[in-house]
Amino acid sequence: MEGSQPETDASTAPPLAALAITSREHTDVTTRDVVFDLRDVDLYYGATLAVSGLNMLVHKNVITAMIGPSGCGKSTVVRTLNRMNDSIPGFRVSGQVLYHDHDVYAGGVDPVEVRRRIGMVFQRPNPFPKSIYDNIAWAPRLLGQKHNLDERVEKALRGAALWDEVKDRLKGSALGLSGGQQQRLCIARAIAIEPDVLLLDEPCSALDPIATALVEELMQDLKKDYTLVIVTHNMQQAARVAERTAFFSLDVSGGKRTGVLVEYDDTEKLFTRPSDKRTEDYVTGRFG
Amino acid sequence: MSTLGADPLMDPKRPLSATGNLRRRRRTDRLMRGVATAAAILAVAILAIVIVTVTGKGASQLSLSFLFKDPAVGLDAVGGGIANAIVGTALIVALATVMAAPIGVLIAIYLTEFSTPRTARPIRLVLDLLNGMPSIVIGVFAYGLLIEGGQQAGWAGSFALAIIMVPLIARATGEMLTLVPRELREASHALGISRWRTIVGIVLPSSLGGILTGLVLAVARSAGETAPLLFTTSIFSNSTTVNIFGTALPNIPLIIFSDSESAFPADHARAWGAAVVLMAFILIGNLGARAMLARQRGKFQSQ
Amino acid sequence: MSSSARDDVVAPSEQDLRPHFHQELAELERQALGAIEIVIEQFDRTLDALAHQEISLARIVIADDDRVDGRYLEVHQGILSLLARQTPVAGDLRLVAALLHMIMHVERMGDQCVNIAKLIPLSGHEPPIQDDVLALLGRMGALARTAVVQCKKAFQERDLPLAIDLIRQDGEINKLNREIFNAALAAGEDAEAREWGTYMVLAARAIERIADNAVDIGEQVAFVVTGLFQEFSDSYRPAIRTGMQA
Repeated sequence: MEGSQPETDASTAPPLAALAITSREHTDVTTRDVVFDLRDVDLYYGATLAVSGLNMLVHKNVITAMIGPSGCGKSTVVRTLNRMNDSIPGFRVSGQVLYHDHDVYAGGVDPVEVRRRIGMVFQRPNPFPKSIYDNIAWAPRLLGQKHNLDERVEKALRGAALWDEVKDRLKGSALGLSGGQQQRLCIARAIAIEPDVLLLDEPCSALDPIATALVEELMQDLKKDYTLVIVTHNMQQAARVAERTAFFSLDVSGGKRTGVLVEYDDTEKLFTRPSDKRTEDYVTGRFG
Repeated sequence: MSTLGADPLMDPKRPLSATGNLRRRRRTDRLMRGVATAAAILAVAILAIVIVTVTGKGASQLSLSFLFKDPAVGLDAVGGGIANAIVGTALIVALATVMAAPIGVLIAIYLTEFSTPRTARPIRLVLDLLNGMPSIVIGVFAYGLLIEGGQQAGWAGSFALAIIMVPLIARATGEMLTLVPRELREASHALGISRWRTIVGIVLPSSLGGILTGLVLAVARSAGETAPLLFTTSIFSNSTTVNIFGTALPNIPLIIFSDSESAFPADHARAWGAAVVLMAFILIGNLGARAMLARQRGKFQSQ
Repeated sequence: MSSSARDDVVAPSEQDLRPHFHQELAELERQALGAIEIVIEQFDRTLDALAHQEISLARIVIADDDRVDGRYLEVHQGILSLLARQTPVAGDLRLVAALLHMIMHVERMGDQCVNIAKLIPLSGHEPPIQDDVLALLGRMGALARTAVVQCKKAFQERDLPLAIDLIRQDGEINKLNREIFNAALAAGEDAEAREWGTYMVLAARAIERIADNAVDIGEQVAFVVTGLFQEFSDSYRPAIRTGMQA
């Protein structure tokens, strides 16, 4: 880099800092609409505080990843978003979990309606023991979306990058598909009811590398229509896939283990210049 | 280098023949295996003896007329068929099933889907106690509740049998329902489907085969129960009748009982024949149920 | 683990499983190669300024170096981001490493242009030029320009023979450098003429450095293609020329 300034001319070079990434494409996703707003959220299992002091915004059409060591509450947090933890006895939420400004845990909120808009894909593929067609068509039928079922099924399967592989055997059993195909079927099943948000709880842990890559690429397409939140214990996956990443860790002070959100930022920033030393230690592998 | 000292038997490079007290251990092993095998053979032998004896004594009675004709009527009547008992048993058991199945299935659904550990425990305890209740006590109860002061009736027998069947159906159904993986229910809930619709649309259809199996087993069990019918539907005529609500119906267990006490050898023979029919029904029912169960268990694994 | 009765229908070798990452990598390469284009523009303007001893053109060159530096920062940031997020391996990783080297050499080339541009006003207005020196500088500059264009093409097309050819051109440029040195020495007794001659020697040296950087970029081409890093030199071993996989 040239150190000396040109002597006489008025059009001197601007100082170095201003030369930073101006024309390189860097979209600021935090300007988009807020889908989830978590305010001072504490999550309890009975008397045990599982996650503490959670404040976080999730934005529209963005892939947000949650990473961190095992047991730090990532799955608990994501299952809190669509009230899937209701069936766990003793589970309790304090603070506000706002979804488009509605508190998901307010009295009078129908959890079934919550889950209608916030869908979920699980760690192990769990297709129903029905045909491929019925797996996808079953929920829309029950929810009253009865007309144009064939188109709906095709649209969902195309959206999950599965149509070409199964279009000739829609009546075949879903259990005859490979693991990667079953997981994409579960994604198709989830998007068939046209949710607003898709939560993915370690969606690739049970899949081989090629199936994983297919699902990761699929997510890039899905984010155009849905807001995605993904929990993963594979931080490289979060690095590849997500625009925003939240790093959770365990606070072991006071003899109790509580999950806390340590750092939440653009993925690139988290993996090149993390602000918190705990984040740096985790992503560089200096501690698990 | 081995740090195990100079013990030559511990040298890993030695040839692989038996060492140490292996010979004694082998003998003990063989002895215990022999004992266990003998016990298993004994169990099979007992069943075989029962089957062989009963079939031996009763197979000669088996004929179309035996199965389709009523017992001979008249003052000197001996022999004849057991058609009335077959029809009677079928009706009594059918009515019992109609009474017991819905209750048993619904109890199981409550236990697996809706109960908390606190509410589940007393209910399971009650079911276990009911299961262990002597059938004669149930029979007396049914008599006292439904018949005392009045006339015997087939449906009272069905009622008593239903009480016996409920715990069986509830337990079998419960086992089938818990076989349905939790992930399947979760998947349905995550789609915004209510709990009851999930049960009706996903859980029950998946376990239907198993539930039917449980029903078949319960039916097989109750078809052979004698004591409950003793008090409720034991005084009956020799002709086939279907009036289950008005009068006592003939049934196989009681035919066996009364015929065996008769003075006439022809009646004894008929009792053996009836026993063969009953035993065959139980065996076929059990084996068929087991086959259906095996198919059910394999249903949730990906092929 | 799930068992599979059927394999996924698409054969792995036929489908790019990470298209977004590969697009990002291709875009990064485009940006880096675009930087060479900017430097070629700069160089043209520099040679023009040199040929006509034009001070105003020289000033433009100096100011425009910001564009090269800006592109350098962009590509640098892009490389860091790609390494952090996408964990490239094998050929992809070599490409990223090569791009890092390449963009540094491009930035050096830009700096050399500025060095030449700064020399022009120093000789003042109406300098005592030696036509033969200017002619030699023109030829040297043209050759160096060809080398820069060629190194860009070699990188873009992963053309190893084309990259190795840069050595030949570098040799010719070195020869011209020596000629200019000798011609400047024969400037005579005039102090101003000698001063001007000295500046032109410095300019020639800067052009020679530009050509060296082009050769260095050629070495990066060899690294991307063969996975081996070897200095190109006049007496390079035949092993480089033959036997390496594309």
